[in-house]
Amino acid sequence: MLDAGLCNYVVISYGHNAFSSDSMMKMLMDFGGDDGVFGQFGAASGYAMAARRAMHTFHTGPETWKHIAVGERKWANLNPRAMMYKRKMTFEDYYNSRPLVEPFRLYDNCLMTDGGRAIVITTEERARDLKHRPAVIMGMGQHNTATAVNYSTHLAGPTGAKKSGEMALSMAEITLDDIDACEIYDCFTYTVEINLQSYGFFGPGEGEDWLKGGTIEPGGRMPLNTSGGQLSEAYFMGLTSLSEAAMQLMGRCGDRQLGPETNTKAPEIILCSDSGGVSRCHSSFILRRG
Amino acid sequence: MEYNKPLPKLNADSKPFWSGCREHELRFQKCNKCGLIRWPPSIICPKCHSRDVQWIVASGRGKVYSFVVYHIAYQPAFKDDLPYTVAIVELEEGPHLLTNIVNCSPDDVSCDMPVKVMWDDVTEEFSLPKFEPA
Repeated sequence: MLDAGLCNYVVISYGHNAFSSDSMMKMLMDFGGDDGVFGQFGAASGYAMAARRAMHTFHTGPETWKHIAVGERKWANLNPRAMMYKRKMTFEDYYNSRPLVEPFRLYDNCLMTDGGRAIVITTEERARDLKHRPAVIMGMGQHNTATAVNYSTHLAGPTGAKKSGEMALSMAEITLDDIDACEIYDCFTYTVEINLQSYGFFGPGEGEDWLKGGTIEPGGRMPLNTSGGQLSEAYFMGLTSLSEAAMQLMGRCGDRQLGPETNTKAPEIILCSDSGGVSRCHSSFILRRG
Repeated sequence: MEYNKPLPKLNADSKPFWSGCREHELRFQKCNKCGLIRWPPSIICPKCHSRDVQWIVASGRGKVYSFVVYHIAYQPAFKDDLPYTVAIVELEEGPHLLTNIVNCSPDDVSCDMPVKVMWDDVTEEFSLPKFEPA
């Protein structure tokens, strides 16, 4: 629309009172049609089903997911806007959190949040005149596997991240090696693992080895969900990740800013993802510093 | 005691399946053109788009494709069942069916475990296909 000259600025916004109202739960309770006949409710159900099949297919489980829950929490502890800003989490805390829909524990689940986010998109030419140095969209890709969890015969992945990631990298004319940080849709810890795996950061079952030692944490070699993500900052659907990527590239992230402040590489390129419908659809965005 | 859990919402596609369940038969559509046995029910074959279809009765045997264990009752009527197991069963004939694993502790359920259908006659109108270890 911008390229075609149909408009000059596009605002993408999201707002919800999901924490203080029951609207999100009501929406999720009605999501599964007749699934409720068998007691299958909510968003965790489908992802937990996928995660269990993955545990059967390759090496994964709580020992892998704890690195994602704790890693993201460390970023949230640097972000005053995060719901979990003042609450630390250890591996022990993770293991001690109560089971909800197994194989998931409480700390495998994202937050419900009152709040909102918005992004303004315009042309590079107009962005040059604005107050902040912009983040530039280098590449985008979308792939919808379109199969519902109940009927899927490839429940252990790969997800749409595989093809949408290839499309976005190709459009940006870069490879995964050029990515400095990731902002990945994280409705559950496992969602992060299966999408990183589908992008090709590691092979099936290599997630625990790849994540351990603080890979995604402050000071790590591949910082991930640097606001705390949906697990520890706030749930704003795809805008949690996209807005954080843009803010990081603009250098507006304060104590959690990638670069010398957090003993990480100052980012040139960040990969973002969004997914929906319990892995039925997936979008990838690659942003660079303007 | 009155049954207070959700019941299937019938439509033109799903009615033959649930009528079969009332007679303790697992009925699925089989495409007369390409042979695909499909679920959920639909007016055309998702593989070859043929409308030519017959209903077959499945054996009721299969294996657990995946499963989850609930420790929270999002719907109050399930509170007394906690912890309960929801599974996707891969039937011998191919379809994946969402169901419960019963007569088996959640700790003893595993992927690829062989299971067979059992019938839970919950109301006058509905029998629910659930599965137990084979």
